[in-house]
Amino acid sequence: MSLLDVNGLVKEFGGLRAIDELSVSVERGELVGVMGPNGAGKSTFFNCVSGVITPDGGRVTFDGDDVTGDPPEELARAGMVRTFQNTRELETMTVRDNVRLAGPDQPGERTLPALARTDSMQTHEREVRERADHLIEAFELDHLADEYSSNLSGGQRKLLELARVLMLDPDLLLLDEPFAGVNPTLTKEIAERIRGLNDEGMTVVVIEHELETLTELVDRLVVLQQGSLLVEGEPEAVLSDERVIDAYLGE
Amino acid sequence: MSLADRLPAGIGDRLPEDDGDRALLLGGFAVALALVLAATPVAVALPGELFVFFEVGTMFVIYGILVLGLDLQYGHTGLVNFGHVVFFAVGGYTVAMLSAQNPFVGIGLGYPWLVALVAGVLVAALLGAIVGATSLRLRDDFLAVATLATAEIFHSVFVNFREVFGGNTGILGVPTPLADLAGDTDTTMLATLLFIGGVTAFTFAVVTRLTDSPYGRVLRAIRADELVTRSVGKSTFTYKMQSFVYGAALAGLAGGLFALYNGTVAPGYFTIQVTVTIWIGMLLGGASNHRAVLAGLAVIMGLRLLSRFALDVAPVSADAFASIRLIVVGMILVAVIRYRPAGIWGDPKELGVDS
Repeated sequence: MSLLDVNGLVKEFGGLRAIDELSVSVERGELVGVMGPNGAGKSTFFNCVSGVITPDGGRVTFDGDDVTGDPPEELARAGMVRTFQNTRELETMTVRDNVRLAGPDQPGERTLPALARTDSMQTHEREVRERADHLIEAFELDHLADEYSSNLSGGQRKLLELARVLMLDPDLLLLDEPFAGVNPTLTKEIAERIRGLNDEGMTVVVIEHELETLTELVDRLVVLQQGSLLVEGEPEAVLSDERVIDAYLGE
Repeated sequence: MSLADRLPAGIGDRLPEDDGDRALLLGGFAVALALVLAATPVAVALPGELFVFFEVGTMFVIYGILVLGLDLQYGHTGLVNFGHVVFFAVGGYTVAMLSAQNPFVGIGLGYPWLVALVAGVLVAALLGAIVGATSLRLRDDFLAVATLATAEIFHSVFVNFREVFGGNTGILGVPTPLADLAGDTDTTMLATLLFIGGVTAFTFAVVTRLTDSPYGRVLRAIRADELVTRSVGKSTFTYKMQSFVYGAALAGLAGGLFALYNGTVAPGYFTIQVTVTIWIGMLLGGASNHRAVLAGLAVIMGLRLLSRFALDVAPVSADAFASIRLIVVGMILVAVIRYRPAGIWGDPKELGVDS
């Protein structure tokens, strides 16, 4: 059974069909790249799958459950977590709090345990803090831990976003352009981290423009065009496919 | 060696560690002192010139509960509530109508005041839940419009349904338990200020515990970016709803205490002026900082009080003076927004504004 199964997905904006009967599936443990020219529907595809927008048709199945139209918070708790194309930081919070926030199942996030400062809340919070500090260190953000995230550079923001979603220990990680606006050195570093997560068993789907990095990174490439699947397969085979060359180089 | 180290372990451990715990201790002390003053034959005599300070002080601690609730909604969660006075009014009217004996006009059911006070909090919370359920899912600015409209509707209902709410006269004959207990005016004044001040300190302790905990972290994350907060698994609607309802319930408590202190409620006590005062106090002090919002409120109410004295020596009529006061308050607000957009004690980075 596939971890993520998207079947006949449709999304229309006004008269425009942004996603047109798209069917894609991702196996557990896979590292899949999604590419396509501008306006091919890559981000809309992510938004529909992750519950940010509701699809007009089709079915999304995650780990055997129908999750079509489920809100992002439920999907995140079920193990499907995403990042955003334009990094979205909680700019009025410190790097530490950005990461700590994502800690799951914190009893102190309910009113009564928060007011009573229960032991279970405090124990849990200590674990959350430890794990957050560990992730911040792993992503080499420790010297910025107490900075407000509005002070971070574009690349640092990408790292912070990754650290934050990893707090949730997701089964499926959806990354929307993790290399956009990032310098080449950092691009390499982020790619290595994604590879490392996948080696540890995490299923990852990456949307990217940056073809070179993507093709080196992923096991399988999915190419979208005008909201539907154009080609999918091994990166080399896909890149030499004439339809893909046409789509990218244009008429 | 700090004080805590030198004390026997049992006592040192119990010393309050933070603002919230200190407020709890202070609140308990104030309430206890108020009850002792009121319940025993001990009486105090206050110099007559100080009366006005006690009056304004009591209104300050009542408005203090309002501003702490508003700051939970706006400062921490980012919810814009332009009708906070309606929850204050609904709390006040509920308590008055349930507890009043033989009101001049309107309804007075004569129930025990404690029952009425609990009901006042619940009714204000319920109204908060209704407004929240209908507006919080919509775009941010809808809440601002909905709350402003709710406040205006209720104000007009209170004025026009004379048989029920007593029109402009309001509800008279509300019990004043502290005054009954204390006997003379001076002791009542001091006991009331201490008692309600104690409740404000309790409120401070409760909201501090809430916002210092992981709960508060989620609220501030919603203020920063709701979609991100959802995408890391937090049910943001529930939090927005809770924050809004808690603020409304606190306002209901403040309204109830006001009714039981004042002995009467009327539309004149619940005008948009109340909302304006607490908003200015919050912005002046610095939103999302409990101490700062109280300090901001103290500044604005202190200025009002000062201006009362200034009126005595000013060579203008009372009407002209009222306009001058408005202009001064407006200019202070403009100056704060221009030079300290996060408020006098606020943190610009916390609020995402450039100063």
